[in-house]
Amino acid sequence: MRKTLLVGLLLTTVLVLGFALAMPAAAQDRWDGADDLPVSPLECPAMDGEMAATDEPAAMEAPEYDGGQAVNAPDLAGQDIVLVDVPKLVGIGYFAATTLGEQQAAEELGNVTVTTDAPTEANIDDQIAVIDNYITQGVNGILFAANDPVAIAPVLRRALEAGIHVVGYDANSEPDAREWFVNQAEFNGIAKAMVDSMVAEIGDAGSFAIVTSTFTTPNQARWIAEMQAYQEKCYPGMTWLETVEAQEDNQLSFNQATTLLNKYGPDVDGLFAMTSVATPAAAEAVTQAGLCSVDSASAAAPSAEEAVAVVGLATPNAMKPYVNDSCVKSVVLWNPIDLGYAAVYVMRAVVDGEFGPGDTTVEAGRLGTLTVVNGSEVLLGPPFIYTAENINDFDF
Amino acid sequence: MTATAKPVPTPARRDDTGNFVSRLISIVSSQEIILLFVLIALLASVGSANPRYVAERNFINIFNGNAYIAVAAIGMTMVIISRNIDISVGSLIGVLGTISGTLAINGSPIWVSWLVPILVGALVGAAIGFMVAYLRIPSIVVTLGLLSILKGGLITVTSGEWITDLPEGFFLAQMKTPAFSILGLSIPAIPSPIIIMFVLTLIAVLWMRYSQTGRAIYAVGGNAEAARLSGISEKRILMTVFILNGVFVGIAAVLWATQLSIIQSTVPPGLELQIITAAVVGGVSILGGVGTAFGAMIAAILLSAINSALVFIDISPYWFRAVVGILILVTVLADMLRRRRTAAASGD
Repeated sequence: MRKTLLVGLLLTTVLVLGFALAMPAAAQDRWDGADDLPVSPLECPAMDGEMAATDEPAAMEAPEYDGGQAVNAPDLAGQDIVLVDVPKLVGIGYFAATTLGEQQAAEELGNVTVTTDAPTEANIDDQIAVIDNYITQGVNGILFAANDPVAIAPVLRRALEAGIHVVGYDANSEPDAREWFVNQAEFNGIAKAMVDSMVAEIGDAGSFAIVTSTFTTPNQARWIAEMQAYQEKCYPGMTWLETVEAQEDNQLSFNQATTLLNKYGPDVDGLFAMTSVATPAAAEAVTQAGLCSVDSASAAAPSAEEAVAVVGLATPNAMKPYVNDSCVKSVVLWNPIDLGYAAVYVMRAVVDGEFGPGDTTVEAGRLGTLTVVNGSEVLLGPPFIYTAENINDFDF
Repeated sequence: MTATAKPVPTPARRDDTGNFVSRLISIVSSQEIILLFVLIALLASVGSANPRYVAERNFINIFNGNAYIAVAAIGMTMVIISRNIDISVGSLIGVLGTISGTLAINGSPIWVSWLVPILVGALVGAAIGFMVAYLRIPSIVVTLGLLSILKGGLITVTSGEWITDLPEGFFLAQMKTPAFSILGLSIPAIPSPIIIMFVLTLIAVLWMRYSQTGRAIYAVGGNAEAARLSGISEKRILMTVFILNGVFVGIAAVLWATQLSIIQSTVPPGLELQIITAAVVGGVSILGGVGTAFGAMIAAILLSAINSALVFIDISPYWFRAVVGILILVTVLADMLRRRRTAAASGD
């Protein structure tokens, strides 16, 4: 009996190990973390290395306008208007930043008053109650960031029927429940910014690995697919090594990033990290391995051969220590101040009758001309790169 | 390591004196030794495929990566041996780590920010122990409730904001022993979590094997009625088990919080499952009464080594879960077989 047990266990062990070791043969089609949806890589930067001035999307047939319209809205062109802003919640740095941008826009325009009012927790029922309340009170326009795209739609439609203009930002609703949505970033825009930032550090012949959350997170899979497409189009000399999964777990992200560094040694030049959890963890792994290109902590900086660059998608607060240490040079995200700013400009243009269905651009103050995408969305523009110069100005 | 084969310390040591070969087989077929073989086989095979896998840096990372899980698994080992379960440990580590970081950034002395989470862990453990031992609420219910309270409470209190700007000297888990050479052998710098893991595991194994209270944990989990008849206070033992579990979770939380420069003040997803997996794969019987902290530690290291190996030999991360699942099933199967064997042996 004991012998059978022993033999059985050893056999299983051998099987498991053999199975594991035989896998690479079958792993030709390695998991790269990308999805299979069609990609639309943006134009490559101009040859002189400067970022292209415009990020015109490839000429495609523009989808029809699919937003809703305010019914019998009063003509307030050029007159003072009162707006209410209902973000997902108040009391967090991110929406404090969008509010700041809205106030900046209101001040510049001079004829807009905007008040931010929202629940202190990201709760869709409370958010609906707040909006309902303002429909009853009567405002000229509602700006929102939805806690739930479907659940928020009925109350927004009621606002439109009451002649109140509705513009969303950050988190969309169903398209017909608002007139416009200010989209902070498109997948191909983020992808381009990530890859261009990496190339700026490791050159167009470097090799890189990716740390992502899980293979089932749609946003990350989309970004990775667009990054691959853009890299293949613009920097064919770069080498993708592999993509590892790290959940939304900072310890696991750290361990995975460390394992990548150990595995490839001097053969890896850069790490892409796809989440706010993975990016600081990857930066930490590079720091603790002493592989920051500028290592202020140790006298012996690694040679250029060994140094590893980290470029990631993350919020500034998570990345401040690493950016201030110069271990990480660029963090890619959008700028929530600009997002709030653009939302107010779009609303003003709608009220003034300057921006409506069929238009393809809108003027947004210091941000210049913004482009319409996906029917009824206004694209904020290329993503924002947080660097040592600006990251300390943000708190979210 | 005959503890796995001899769950209850009281029965006659019949075959100990008898058949030397059968005793040897029993030692070799114990879960701990098998795991050790598997670990060595894995290190050797993947290491021969890619020498960087067993190069100093990665070798240390394999041991270091799951050290905090191994420490928490010591407590989990005691809890499961006593025929209970604690599924709140992952959330508790998140909460205690956040407490540690919050104290540190608010100017408390470093040692206070390390000690308080351990004390709070012990208090929480005492509360769980009280409800399980005296109010007779099943531990899975108590800790399920606690899990929700801790998880929700943590998000409400911190609003998910991370702790940064931690003071110098706070990072216990980043500290290392100095590298030195002895007799021509150069010993590399060992990170503190590895040392803490080994020392605590050793103490726990010895305590559970040789102290009266330690052996009583096996007795309570193996056969509560018999333990009661032999004068062991089940209530007192359960209180001790849960308080000790809280202490180990507290230490694990400090290691968790001091590993990176930032504390992610949310509950790490699936952490309790990793800890329970380490204990179960390490040979702790889900039916109570059997297992050692040594097995749990080897299992935690093995899980870390498998995770690293999957990256090294280019296997999709999909496989990690599958491999861990196979390990759990094989382990539980082996446990069942051992039990059947023991039952057959003592039945006649």
